[in-house]
Amino acid sequence: MTRKLWAEPIEALAPRVRSGELKPTALTQAYLDRIAAVDGKLNSFIHVATDALAQARVAEGEIKAGKYRGPLHGIAVCIKDNYTTADMPTTVGSTAPGLSYPMRDSAAAKRLRESGAILIGKTRTHEFAWGNVTPPVRNPWDLERVPSGSSGGTGAAVAAGLCAAGMGSDTGGSIRMPASVCGTVGLKATFGRISRDGIIPHSWSLDHAGPLTRTVADTAHMLQVLAGYDPADPACQDQPVPDYAKALGKPVKGLRLGVCRNHFFERNHPDVEHAVESAIEDLAGKGASVHEFKIPMLEYGLGAIFAIELASSTAYHDVSLRAGRTPHFQPDVRTLVEVGRFVTAPDYLKAEQYRTVLMQAFRDVFTRVDVIVTPTSPIPAWKIGSKTMDVGGKEESVLAASWRFTYPFNLAGLPTISIPCGFTRENLPIGLQIAAKPFDEMTVLRVAHAYERMHDWSERLPPI
Amino acid sequence: MSQSPLDPFKDILGVEFTPERLAENLESYRSILDEIRKLRELDLTEVHPAIIFEPTAPYRQEPEQ
Repeated sequence: MTRKLWAEPIEALAPRVRSGELKPTALTQAYLDRIAAVDGKLNSFIHVATDALAQARVAEGEIKAGKYRGPLHGIAVCIKDNYTTADMPTTVGSTAPGLSYPMRDSAAAKRLRESGAILIGKTRTHEFAWGNVTPPVRNPWDLERVPSGSSGGTGAAVAAGLCAAGMGSDTGGSIRMPASVCGTVGLKATFGRISRDGIIPHSWSLDHAGPLTRTVADTAHMLQVLAGYDPADPACQDQPVPDYAKALGKPVKGLRLGVCRNHFFERNHPDVEHAVESAIEDLAGKGASVHEFKIPMLEYGLGAIFAIELASSTAYHDVSLRAGRTPHFQPDVRTLVEVGRFVTAPDYLKAEQYRTVLMQAFRDVFTRVDVIVTPTSPIPAWKIGSKTMDVGGKEESVLAASWRFTYPFNLAGLPTISIPCGFTRENLPIGLQIAAKPFDEMTVLRVAHAYERMHDWSERLPPI
Repeated sequence: MSQSPLDPFKDILGVEFTPERLAENLESYRSILDEIRKLRELDLTEVHPAIIFEPTAPYRQEPEQ
């Protein structure tokens, strides 16, 4: 059976666009029709570009004239609503009065436009990228459940085929968690790999930019466009950008998989545990060796990320605090921004000292392994409004549980991807997380692609 | 002339919430503080924080094309 255009990954669409067989206007119209048909239920977009078809016509003309720019040319992508754009408003998910953001392209938007991509719209974020629910967005696999967050709009939109790919941002897991529970691929590249210029800050030393896509190859295409030095982002590093497509199709035989048995495997939903252990066996079956280890210092990570994230967010929102604007924030975000005042400077610096120790611990592990493989989240998508969930036999806050496996890699700044690795008995997606040493996105993509090719998880579509 | 004692919240932390709101926020902070307390127990005296002061940053230029 022929798949709908909107269900195809970039890797299948791009050759057809390049050859002229598939016109960008037809493809963009297919996404616009899909948005019109289902986004009333999903609520993933906060703004749909009124000039999407005009952008597509430009791309079409360029391709027809022999000026093909690359795999994203003529492909519609969405941008999370915390990236500024020149032609679409930015709200960062907030309706609080007195806030406005520049109408200029963020670095990612600029690079995507230069690649010929169609910026089809802005997707919803949890307010100020602070949180992992993203109301009012719903999960396309089950409309009664959350898409997680804070890039929940992008996760839902990409999973439901409302665009081919999209941008998220990740401070403690906000790309990977939505990717995991919506059944997409999501990459948080190395801190400093992708410019964050034009992303409204949440926590300067934890915020990462990255794409959510249908497949690993699509992530490689997006990363190729997004990666590179930008002096406008003080954290961006001037490192060579490899040809990421060369990571695809390579075997994992001989690679060393690290499995951290503390923290990541102590308490998981049983279906998550089973899917991830099966994935490790699959990779081992292809010739990768498995090396188990522990990082005891992970026990202290939650306090560290709380101290850094809260203090940073509160510093950024200090003007709003002093102006008495926080009562207009969403209640959960208001509380987090206000309690950040309680974090002391010594607590913050202790957290930054801890980060040094954690980075060194990961560095030591990477002398013995090439990648670390974990569940992305201990739980699948939870019901909207649920506060707790049974996690491996213990009733636990869903908000606390959901980011437990993602935030350590924000603290350490390591390149980390989430890819689909199965479904729960309730047909909810499960994510496999793969991390490597700094700037080794190539190995992350290599392992992710090798695993992806063993299953059809990425080809399954949500029932919306 | 003696001054009134400093208020730990208002004067030191710069928090200007109503007493009710302050109580709510303190209760919300309780579980977070539990985690930060664990962190405080670590002896990291000899560890440089993962913050690098870079005085050359303002002089960064676009790379040569």
